[in-house]
Amino acid sequence: MTTTLIGVCFAAYIVSALLYIVHLKVRRPAWRRGAFILVVGAFALQTAILGWRWWAAGFLPVTNLFATQFFFSWALAATYLYFELRYRIGGVGLFVIFLNLLLLASVLPRDPALPPLIPALDTPLFTLHVSFSFFGYAFFAMAFSLGTLYLVQRRLSHPLLPTLPQLRKLNEESIFLGFVFFTLCMLAGMLWAYVAWGYWFSWNIKGVWSFLIWLFYAGMCHAKFVRQWQGTGYAVLSVAGFFLVLFTYLGIGLLMSSNHPLE
Amino acid sequence: MSAVRLWNFLCSLKLAIVLASAAVALLVVGSLYMPSRPSLFGAMDRMPLGQWYAQAWSQQPEAVWWVPAMGILIILLGINTLCCTLDWLFRLKSRWRKTGEYLLHLGFVLALAGYVWGSFDGFRNEGMRIAVGQTVAIPSFPGHYLMLEDVEIFRRTPRAIPDAASTMVLLRGDTQISRYQIRTNDPLIHGSLVVVPLSFSQAAAGIRAQISGVGAVDLLPGAVFALDGGATLTIHDFYPWAMRRPDGSVFPRGENPVRPALELELNNPDRLIWRGWYFPQDGLPPELAEAGVRLRPVDLVYRPIGLFTVNSDPGAPLALAGGIAMTAGVFICLFSFYSKRARGDRPEIT
Ligand code: HEM
Repeated sequence: MTTTLIGVCFAAYIVSALLYIVHLKVRRPAWRRGAFILVVGAFALQTAILGWRWWAAGFLPVTNLFATQFFFSWALAATYLYFELRYRIGGVGLFVIFLNLLLLASVLPRDPALPPLIPALDTPLFTLHVSFSFFGYAFFAMAFSLGTLYLVQRRLSHPLLPTLPQLRKLNEESIFLGFVFFTLCMLAGMLWAYVAWGYWFSWNIKGVWSFLIWLFYAGMCHAKFVRQWQGTGYAVLSVAGFFLVLFTYLGIGLLMSSNHPLE
Repeated sequence: MSAVRLWNFLCSLKLAIVLASAAVALLVVGSLYMPSRPSLFGAMDRMPLGQWYAQAWSQQPEAVWWVPAMGILIILLGINTLCCTLDWLFRLKSRWRKTGEYLLHLGFVLALAGYVWGSFDGFRNEGMRIAVGQTVAIPSFPGHYLMLEDVEIFRRTPRAIPDAASTMVLLRGDTQISRYQIRTNDPLIHGSLVVVPLSFSQAAAGIRAQISGVGAVDLLPGAVFALDGGATLTIHDFYPWAMRRPDGSVFPRGENPVRPALELELNNPDRLIWRGWYFPQDGLPPELAEAGVRLRPVDLVYRPIGLFTVNSDPGAPLALAGGIAMTAGVFICLFSFYSKRARGDRPEIT
């Protein structure tokens, strides 16, 4: 049942992405409205699935690979909708939808069974830590998308894409929001580490890279005030930052052993 | 360099970006050493950083050179942030709208100061074994003891994996200074001290025996039994795996119940009859048999035993204050970001 419903979300996101692409070429409001309605519908269904799983498990299920990828995909959709509702970004956020599709595609073949909760994870600090981190990652993904478009737009000056100052403003906001969530993720994580292990900073590779990401984006929150780094520099940093994020989320979990395995 | 220029340099935003970028680059390089040397870097969480570094530098300097370099960069960033925050504080009247940003900055400075403090002071003990009923001294914390009163296994929900709740008493000398039921994610915290449960098991603690005239009893250290005819039998000690030296003295070999032994003392009301080690596998010592003691071992007595992490980090309260400042700062920032944007307020660009 869960898998079927996720399949429905997947299909809706695919169709909406196609409609957004068509809309980039054919500027008819109907295409865009259709795409938007599909994203809202899929997001609402995803929210319902998440809510139902939360209720059934008695805790926010973010404790195995299936659950974290599903949550990340939901956070990406929420991030996209935030920018779409506020700034009407349309196809500009397509990368985030693609990433969302990729995650859902990897979720679909997995077993959706709810795992029993191990005592170590039975704390709101863990729930906050994980959900804040995925929201942080989602905004960093959005910044990657906006940064890439900025670099494209700088070459193309395409009339259908937003202007460079618009893209820059959106990118700065995305980085700022990502940093806010990631800071909250780190704070919850530090408190959790203290009550779970008796020390609040762990020198495992994931902890070190999370601090590194935090420092990187803290640096970016300042770089926008320095003239040479505005615009292109900032866009390049947004792209580079997302590779750091990807390495921290996937690379370390898959390639190296740490106390943050993916499953 | 004049004082004003030095101050401006210390408060400079560009300096912050340079330091943060250098720290990021150095951490990328440094972290590459970590996966290939798990035993070296795995010990980093088991002791305060300063203590770890002293050992690690003497063993593999080529793999840990980046740690102090990193420390210097981050401390410089902290000083930079502190100066920047002070500079803001001096001009609070005209800059109060940036309270969120500066609470965030102050929080970072406090957390960093807490980390530096905890790296050079305090201690960590991972895996202290304490059996129920046992009192043990906390290493590196003179005069302080932990006593495990009780361990209770429970489930938070019917489907949940079981957890243990251990009632722990913290003593200074003979005085109880704290008593707390520790669970996973719910440690005993007293000042800089934190006691975290790691795992639980069972350990042999004594011998269950049938004593004629007394019945079935658990022979555990500290127990005293009144026997027929007015004699008393006192249990002094128990070793699950005891070894006898050629000179007759007995020492503990390990925790596995391979060759258990009890240290017993038999007294008449007016005199000591015998004190010595009883190995059930060798039969009752002749002195006891002659004194009329009829004792038949039946089984081993097991007791829950807990493994605990007992750490002291004097910087932790400062770091917590930093964390609170950062949390407040980040929320205020979130609101002020939009209100400043709406007002078209962008900071001076350097
Ligand atoms: C690792 C340490 C630091 C962190 C985490 C940090 C974080 C932040 C954040 C999140 C903002 C808000 C940016 C925004 O409005 O989008 C900010 C703003 C700012 N930070 Fe930092 N910062 C750090 C160190 C410093 C240092 C060392 C300086 C000193 C030069 C500094 C100076 C500023 C200034 C001037 C602003 C702009 C405030 C405004 O006018 O809006 N920061 N910082």
